[in-house]
Amino acid sequence: MIKKIHLAAMVALAALAGVAQADRLDDIKNSGVLRVAAFDSNPPFGFVDAQTKQISGLDVDYAKELAAKLGVKLELVPTNPANRIPLLASNKVDVVLANFTITDERAKQVNFSIPYFASGQQFIAKKGVLKSPEQLGELRIGVDKGTTNEIVLREKHPSATLVAYDDTPFAFTALRNGNVQAITQDGPKLVGLLANVPDKENYEIPPFSISDDLIGAGLPKDEVRLTEYVNDFLRELEASGKAQTIYDRWFGPETKTPLTRIYRIGDK
Amino acid sequence: MLDDLLAPKYIGWLIDGFLVTLALSALASAAATVLGLMLCLARLAPTRWLAWPALAWLSVFRNTPLLVQLFFWYFGLAALMPQGLLEWLNTPHYWHLVFFDVSWPPFEYVAGFVGLTLFTSAFIAEEFRAGVRGVPTTQTAAARALGLRPLQIWRHVVIPQAFRIALPPLLGQYMNAVKNSSLTMAIGLAELSYASRQVETETFKTFQAFGIATLLYIGTVALIELAGQWVQRRNPTLGAAR
Repeated sequence: MIKKIHLAAMVALAALAGVAQADRLDDIKNSGVLRVAAFDSNPPFGFVDAQTKQISGLDVDYAKELAAKLGVKLELVPTNPANRIPLLASNKVDVVLANFTITDERAKQVNFSIPYFASGQQFIAKKGVLKSPEQLGELRIGVDKGTTNEIVLREKHPSATLVAYDDTPFAFTALRNGNVQAITQDGPKLVGLLANVPDKENYEIPPFSISDDLIGAGLPKDEVRLTEYVNDFLRELEASGKAQTIYDRWFGPETKTPLTRIYRIGDK
Repeated sequence: MLDDLLAPKYIGWLIDGFLVTLALSALASAAATVLGLMLCLARLAPTRWLAWPALAWLSVFRNTPLLVQLFFWYFGLAALMPQGLLEWLNTPHYWHLVFFDVSWPPFEYVAGFVGLTLFTSAFIAEEFRAGVRGVPTTQTAAARALGLRPLQIWRHVVIPQAFRIALPPLLGQYMNAVKNSSLTMAIGLAELSYASRQVETETFKTFQAFGIATLLYIGTVALIELAGQWVQRRNPTLGAAR
């Protein structure tokens, strides 16, 4: 009971705080422009398209949909990873859609929406070798030296034999040669790697991940209404199937970098 | 300071790695000594059918970086092998001998051992040759004048003196083998350097991880040095020709 009162008090306080500050959601609607920070050199999330010379990508598609729902014009602001929080804090942008991994540390400085993408630690193996995470403990697995992938895999599957290589191409050569039976990295990196392999039909990325980095939209700190608005927008996008359409445009089976969609908006 | 040395688990990793380093460099040094002796004899042989191939071997292995050689044995050669053979090499095999079980090591160990052995053998062969060349020709001439047969000359005059000259640089090559074994971390062999890098990644205790590894390397090399001095003192015919 006391907990409930606490919660109610906190919600009321948060609402008050929201009211007390100028509300960004109204500002956006009044100005008629949504300013979104996006990557310009991180395909397929945000990059300059060689033909149109415009910034495009998965994150940009979300930005376009959000602007359409708000009924305002979209203004894209190119960013690099380091500038994402400063851009929000200095009121240069309203939303960051730039492969922004949700962490507790960052959540102290910005608001995050619910996740709309997950970049998980996945595996490449020869076709038919690896079907489920339970098999990992019996395999020899190539990892990149000094990555969190190595640490996570050892924690979750201590009986697996890990062989660490200097970088992903070396690990992949070891997989080709049969020195290891699988290699691990972040899913989007693995599809990028596989896209350039001449005999890629012999390999697959089994549709499971052993850890997830959740990607969310970054919003100004304490903008409760805007955050709720973006959350509702993301849920609607999943319900209408548009989220799947956007995903398929960049990671679908027809693309150069096919990756099975494991994470859906609303999953935890 | 002592509190944040390293957790026992990580000390364990370093010790495991150290044992692999010791085993790898000891085995490779032993094999390289035998191979080096044969190479040296081939190089000194009066017929070019032996001398030239030996010369070619020496130039190939002495004039290319060990790292490239290791990549060749591990990645390059593996790509040429038939799939079945490589799979056999990579899967563990166990043989039960009378008293103990023998298991086939993973391919990293095989490639690391082969690479380090062949590389070291080329240097050891030249140290042996330098030893033989270091025995003055007048010694051979004098032995011949005394009526010794060629084999006797080798057995009683050349080899004892050559070995005395070659021993210190030979030990130096063993020390090099210990240090060079660290390069096998590039092909995923879990020796001391690999283990220290792994400990560093997990603990972020950079100084401790690499510091302990450094001490272990220094200790090993110092032990070889001491062993060499001990052998020379025990055995005066090997003399302290330094």
